[in-house]
Amino acid sequence: MIVCVAVVGHQNNPVYIQSFTEADDALKLHHIVHCSLDVVDERVNNPKKSGPTLNETFLGLLYPTENYKVRFHSAYVDAVSNPFHVPGKKITSRTFAERVSNIVKSFGLSSAG
Amino acid sequence: MSETANDVDGNGESVAPSVYVGQFAQLLEQGGTLAMQLLTDEEYVHYALAEGKRFQDSFEIIALLKRSFETFTKLNAQRMASYCGFEMAREYFAVNEFSNAKQHFDSIASLYRKEGWVTLLWEVLGYLQECSRRLGAVKDFVEYSLEMAALPVSSIGSVQSLSFKECGPAVPASLSQREIIHKEVFELVRGESGLTSNEGNNDLKVTGDQPLHLEIDLVSPLRVVLLASVAFHEQIVKPGAPTLITLSLLSQLPCAVEIDQLEIQFNQSVCNFTIVNGQRPQLDATSNGQPGHRVETAPALMLSTNKWLRLTYDIKSDQSGKLECISVIARLGPYFTICCRAESPASMNDLPLWKFEDRVETLPTKDPSLAFSGQKATQIEELEPQVDLKLGASGPALVGESFVLPVTISAKGHAVHSGELKINLVDTRGGGLLSPREVEPSFTDNPYVELLCVSGLECEDDSQIGTDDIRKIQHSFGLISVPFLNDGDSWSCKLEIRWHRPKPVLLYVSLGYSPHSSELSAQKIHVHKSLEIEGKNAVVFSHQCMLPFRRDPLLLSKIKMGQDSDQVLSLPLNETSILIVSAKNSTELPLQLLAIFIEVDDNDIGKSCTVRHGGEDHSDLALLMPGEEFKKVFSVIPEVNIPKLKMGTVCLRWRRDTGPKGQPSSSATASEVLTKYRLPDINVELSPLVVNLECPPQAILGNPFTYFLRIQNQTHLLQEIKFSLADSQSFVLSGPHNDTIFVLPKSEQILGYKLVPLASGSQQLPRVTVTSVRYSAGYQPPVSATTIFVFPSKPHFEMANMGMSRESIATE
Repeated sequence: MIVCVAVVGHQNNPVYIQSFTEADDALKLHHIVHCSLDVVDERVNNPKKSGPTLNETFLGLLYPTENYKVRFHSAYVDAVSNPFHVPGKKITSRTFAERVSNIVKSFGLSSAG
Repeated sequence: MSETANDVDGNGESVAPSVYVGQFAQLLEQGGTLAMQLLTDEEYVHYALAEGKRFQDSFEIIALLKRSFETFTKLNAQRMASYCGFEMAREYFAVNEFSNAKQHFDSIASLYRKEGWVTLLWEVLGYLQECSRRLGAVKDFVEYSLEMAALPVSSIGSVQSLSFKECGPAVPASLSQREIIHKEVFELVRGESGLTSNEGNNDLKVTGDQPLHLEIDLVSPLRVVLLASVAFHEQIVKPGAPTLITLSLLSQLPCAVEIDQLEIQFNQSVCNFTIVNGQRPQLDATSNGQPGHRVETAPALMLSTNKWLRLTYDIKSDQSGKLECISVIARLGPYFTICCRAESPASMNDLPLWKFEDRVETLPTKDPSLAFSGQKATQIEELEPQVDLKLGASGPALVGESFVLPVTISAKGHAVHSGELKINLVDTRGGGLLSPREVEPSFTDNPYVELLCVSGLECEDDSQIGTDDIRKIQHSFGLISVPFLNDGDSWSCKLEIRWHRPKPVLLYVSLGYSPHSSELSAQKIHVHKSLEIEGKNAVVFSHQCMLPFRRDPLLLSKIKMGQDSDQVLSLPLNETSILIVSAKNSTELPLQLLAIFIEVDDNDIGKSCTVRHGGEDHSDLALLMPGEEFKKVFSVIPEVNIPKLKMGTVCLRWRRDTGPKGQPSSSATASEVLTKYRLPDINVELSPLVVNLECPPQAILGNPFTYFLRIQNQTHLLQEIKFSLADSQSFVLSGPHNDTIFVLPKSEQILGYKLVPLASGSQQLPRVTVTSVRYSAGYQPPVSATTIFVFPSKPHFEMANMGMSRESIATE
């Protein structure tokens, strides 16, 4: 299940971060997301020579169904297409937050089922 | 991470060191058998941490975390390393080692600040706040608290307000929490409350004996707490003229802050002034006791969240130069001051952390152009100079002479104190100012243009030319001190500059002085003058070699090479050749020629000759007008047969013509210049054959005269010579017309002709052609050599004794 969704900006700043756990360890999730940027950095700075992984944008564990990636990405694109959104700054759109939580919920249901 | 740690946890007891050193394995029960499964590094680390936690040995944990930290740092995983550092700091905190904890938390906080992770930063600042409190570091406590209060944390937005299970001493981040911290810290700094520390039960308070001062520089994270933007309304101001300055303050603290007093500090400290809050009671201890100090009163100094507080005042300065606002010191309460570096609106950095937020951004000044281009510094102009600086120009400079240029300083309105005259010679082709530091080494050895000296004349008081005058003269730079001048006085000096090559030069002369004697270090006023001076070659030399009259030595090289004038000049050995040197005045000024002679090189054996002066009479000195050419004839007799013979150097002594002789002696006569012209090396050849024509200069009609043709053979070989003579209608000729003769070695053959002139006047003698068979060379005398004047009858002259007629040929 998805426990946390985060969008990180160019300067490694959190643009959007939302956790989906009942437990009270949300702060720990923030730490985890922050630390995971090291992995991203490593992948970005040392791209593997093999073709398929060159443009790999998802760096975590793989799951059988991958269409949630597309759904997350389209939600993000819609959020930043908002003419009032300043690139690099935090995403404050409630619509985006709702869509993200819907994706997470539907994903949680599908993986549980 | 935590899940896998739990896995190993449960089987912790079954982990055992294996046979191999450094490798741990886990004993697993599979079915009935026991098997050793090797642990991966990750599993081992988690096992070790769990073990450490189980035994509650903080120092073990810290040591493990330190190793992890080092490993991650080597792997370049900075954030993971920082997280290990964070955990280490928490362990230190748990065992009350607050200074170690603080050190680690500080470095982690800077990473979170840089990357904008506000919730994480809030957590760490909470720990830092608590560490400072326990250590009794009031200043640090206040700084961390202010930073927390000004963090962009709000209860709405993308970051959920989370209730943390374990977030350290800080309560969950929210706007209300920021406000609480804000209130608490301001109670502390106003001395209204104390800080309970670890050491003893004493409350640490901010008091008059222990006031608190914070410094916020351009990179401080506390810029969000107080930001000072300063803009001068004008970039250039006249001295003493007032201009406006706008000070704008901004804070992201959640509650409004009342400022008691603001002190604005400039690089010119006389301009410092204080703004007091009209609504706060006057604080006697804080007001600056200096009587001359300017104090303004503002009706209110209330700083609201994210709203610029703009204050505009007029300002002026009498001192020229840069006037820059350095800092703004805000006094909040009797014991607390914050010193903020002034920032220019045009070059203000973003607010840290808030730059990632969607906050309302406004301009520091109402005028948008001032907000975009305003600077915290302005330039105060110099006072207008009231002293005249004149450069007397006297035409172009000539290479080699000491060119004199008078410089006059007249005080017309200001007195001249501590005057300094700077002289610079600069290449007009943009070679840059040739100051003593910037001169290339080659230039110093061989300057094209050189400042020789500066001579002072017409001083009002001779005793003032003292030893404390600055006199520094280098090739292209001069610095001399100017004596004191009253208003209305004047002083002059002369610059002597010598050109070594023809080159245009820009002369810059600047005078720096103070109009008042009292302000010794204060403003200097400068007057500049520049002049472009052309350096020209005075004289252009050329030379020409000619054969003597009616004598032609055969030069084999001339035949072989043809008529290439580029070839080295060849002259016959032991024969006289005529050298004509001409000097052309290539300037627009008349030149006085004093002497011309040829200097022979020391180891030269074939000497040329000197020239005698045109008599003792000075009126005969040649005055060469512009464009005129002066010619001097020398004769050259090479006496040694070597391929490259140095002829020597032509030396011309001259000087610029200073005009009619009625000049007063005080105006300096122009200096004499010696210009040299190196004559090219010559090739000396022994001429095998020499042909001479001998003929009287004039004849009388009807009277016969003899015309000789003499052929000298200077070789050891027998020479066959063919000659032919063409008849001339003006003469009756008796003698051989065509023949071939043989001339014996080292001897000569003379052909004689008897001629009777038949016509009078200037006549052409019969043309003779002489051909050497051996060398295939022919010779025909030129027309000028074969001209003779025939008198119609014997002339009768009254011959007065004219003495030696002036011949310009002299031989030695």
